[in-house]
Amino acid sequence: MGRYVARRLLQGLLTLFLVMVLLHLLTTAAIQLNGNPALAFFGDRVPTAAQLQAVSERYGLGDACYNQLGNPCVGPFLDRLAAYATGDFGTDLRGREVTEIVAVAAPNTLRLFAVVGLTWLVVGMTLGSLAARYRGRAADHGIRAGSILVDAFPVFVMLLVYKFVVTVPMSTWARDTFGAESLPALLFRPSFSPDHPWATVLVPGVLLGLAGSAAFIRLVRAAQLENYNAEHVRTARSKGLGERHVTLFHIVRNSSIPVVTAIGFVFAEALAGAVVTEGLMNVYGMGGVLWSAVRDSDVSVVVGIVTLLAVVTVVVMIVVDLLYAALDPRIRFD
Amino acid sequence: MLALVATGCSSGGDGGGGGDQGGGDATVRLALTQDVDTLLPMDSNVGDNIAVLDVIYDGLVRYDPQTTEPYNYLAEDISTEDNVVWTIAIKEGTTFHNGEPVDAEAFARAWNYAAYGPNAMENNYFFERIEGYDAMQGDYEVSEDGEVTVNEEPSADTLSGLEVVDPTTLEVTLNGPFAGFDTMLGYTGFFPIAQACLDDIDACATQPIGNGPFQVEQWQQGQSLTATKFEGYTGEEAPNFDRIEWTEYSGSSSWPDFQAGILDTGTPPPAEWQQANADPDLSTRKVEVAGAALTYLGFPLYEGEPWTDVEFRKAISMAIDRQAVIDAVLPGQGVPADSWVVPERVPGGVAGTCQWCTFDPDAAKQALEAAGGWPEGETLTIHLGTDETQLEYFQAIGDQITLNLGIPYELDPSPDYFARRAARDFSGPFRANWFPDYPLNENYLGPVYGGGEPDEGNTSFGYYNEEFEQLIAEGDRAADLDAAVAKYAEAEKVLAEDFPTVPISFSQVTVFHSDRVSNVVLDPFSGSVKLRLLEVA
Repeated sequence: MGRYVARRLLQGLLTLFLVMVLLHLLTTAAIQLNGNPALAFFGDRVPTAAQLQAVSERYGLGDACYNQLGNPCVGPFLDRLAAYATGDFGTDLRGREVTEIVAVAAPNTLRLFAVVGLTWLVVGMTLGSLAARYRGRAADHGIRAGSILVDAFPVFVMLLVYKFVVTVPMSTWARDTFGAESLPALLFRPSFSPDHPWATVLVPGVLLGLAGSAAFIRLVRAAQLENYNAEHVRTARSKGLGERHVTLFHIVRNSSIPVVTAIGFVFAEALAGAVVTEGLMNVYGMGGVLWSAVRDSDVSVVVGIVTLLAVVTVVVMIVVDLLYAALDPRIRFD
Repeated sequence: MLALVATGCSSGGDGGGGGDQGGGDATVRLALTQDVDTLLPMDSNVGDNIAVLDVIYDGLVRYDPQTTEPYNYLAEDISTEDNVVWTIAIKEGTTFHNGEPVDAEAFARAWNYAAYGPNAMENNYFFERIEGYDAMQGDYEVSEDGEVTVNEEPSADTLSGLEVVDPTTLEVTLNGPFAGFDTMLGYTGFFPIAQACLDDIDACATQPIGNGPFQVEQWQQGQSLTATKFEGYTGEEAPNFDRIEWTEYSGSSSWPDFQAGILDTGTPPPAEWQQANADPDLSTRKVEVAGAALTYLGFPLYEGEPWTDVEFRKAISMAIDRQAVIDAVLPGQGVPADSWVVPERVPGGVAGTCQWCTFDPDAAKQALEAAGGWPEGETLTIHLGTDETQLEYFQAIGDQITLNLGIPYELDPSPDYFARRAARDFSGPFRANWFPDYPLNENYLGPVYGGGEPDEGNTSFGYYNEEFEQLIAEGDRAADLDAAVAKYAEAEKVLAEDFPTVPISFSQVTVFHSDRVSNVVLDPFSGSVKLRLLEVA
């Protein structure tokens, strides 16, 4: 088990390094091809060379290699690695610490993820298990048809309809009935409020979770169906174990491995959904920050945040791998 | 005396209110875009932080909301004999929120900081008219392969043309005469700063030490900004409410929040425009003002024919049905432009200086013929940035050109639009936009079309006209502002004859407000709500 963990950790570190190299090369090439983002600072004005240089330095792009197409800019990359090693993730274009931005934005995104994740698990496991258990019957058909419907409805459209059609009458009604600071009024607020971070993220989070749960339902159903007919389940039943016990310990547990794998993949997908959700619901989160940083060519923020996201993704993947081992002894002793 | 006036103001405001809110909740809730990234006056150059700083800081002059004409506020008197040396007398006894006096030194330290090149302040260029500016910029050279050589570090860190005569007198010497200098002084970049602000400039950028009627209570960057009334404020123009809460938004997503009563003002996105205007209740709470920003079409005059042919440019201009373009893409957010200087909103601006800006497809076709027609099989490339609204807008403009002149077009959106424009890398007409820095017709003319070399033309367009340059210079030297404005207006006429660019539209701002607030006046210049005039019921 120890060697298994150590190997996974080393692989994770290597992945991180490669991600950083790739990021660096991509952003460097983007600057070299697109021209100096410092120019955008001056908008409709033509700056003098001196002003441009001053702003370039402020942007951390003073090094001449950013003007030479094809130059990999190794110097600035090493400087950045050294700075990251000391916990210095740099600043954005206005001198605000990237770590400070993340400290504000990350909790909002994590809250969204928590709601999304819970929705998946609850909806996916419950409906998937029900569909498997009542396979071929009305409940199964209903759940599968419903999941296809949800899947066919893009998250973007769902949130747009929610925001522009549902929230205004709902929140107005709730405010008039229960008061402005009451829970129902906050739940249906058209946008996120940092003063009530949980209440205002709940409904959008559930919607995003529902949209992602369709694939999950079908995965759970398929995995469990395999086990319903498996030999170890027949053995358990023939031992005289009750149906509830058989379902919980012999079917659900054994069908969890593909589900755990899916969590890892869906996590990456949720990040994409978070950008849309955060943008529409005005949540100040990682997705939105990254989006505007890319738009403004804010290199330190883009590299800093993507690196952090890569760290999180690698950690999630390692946790998933460890869960495999916990769920299936065969992997542990491989 | 001041206190009396202030009391008079606020009691007048209270008299009109119904007061059904209860609990003395005099809070105004507004939206702000997430692009606000600093609250340092010297570094604030976009509409939103200017609007916030307008209640956090007081300047030497303020502008009349109807006419945009400046009047003295912190300045007791601004005088000059020759338009070169300006003497500014500052009112005594006002202080920053931390107790420091707002004196001549407070202005000098802010201006020197902004003018020092290596500080890279957004408002640096505002100080280029003051003597000693060049010595504060240093000199760099960028070679072909991007190698930067520092030829010269800035030789000065203060403006030689700035002299603190005594605590209430500031003497400013300009590089040359400029009759409109006092008009600039109300702009955000000329606000004073406290010594404590300069000592910790990073902290001051997020937690400003102002001298205005409000002070920043808390700024959760990217999420919200709150300001509360500064009790020690002695100025006349103080709002009748106690607190302002700005919520920061990315994009145009604040409209449902306005509809749900969370915000006091809102502007609908284009898709909701019709519905909002048709709503009998909402439409009674609508305020409109013509803004000052000009969207226009530039031509690469440095590329020769056909761009240098005035008949061709006339053809393009008269082929565009400006009202149809606005109605299709930005209903209520623009008015067709037929001048280069916004009419009536700034001194010297009059409508109709552009004689070829009215939609006339027949005349357009004739002009195109006179220009020798459009080569068969060629496509007109319109260059612009990647902003989505602008893309739609210029698509509508391109459609008009194709419809009325039969010239096929394509859009060339590029993220490095500004770099390419500076490098003269355009092969067709390009989108241009001018948001003036101070309310004077000169600002639409000199900085945009002037300063070029006689044979090369200016950088962006390749435009140069000797007479135009002279009229701008004569305006700068004029005895008083009225005479200067008249000279600048003549320069605009020269521009109108040369017709180097095609004015498309001036911005228009439409704001809906809740029934909690009244006396909603929009700044004719920036389009933002004049917070000092706003009243909360």
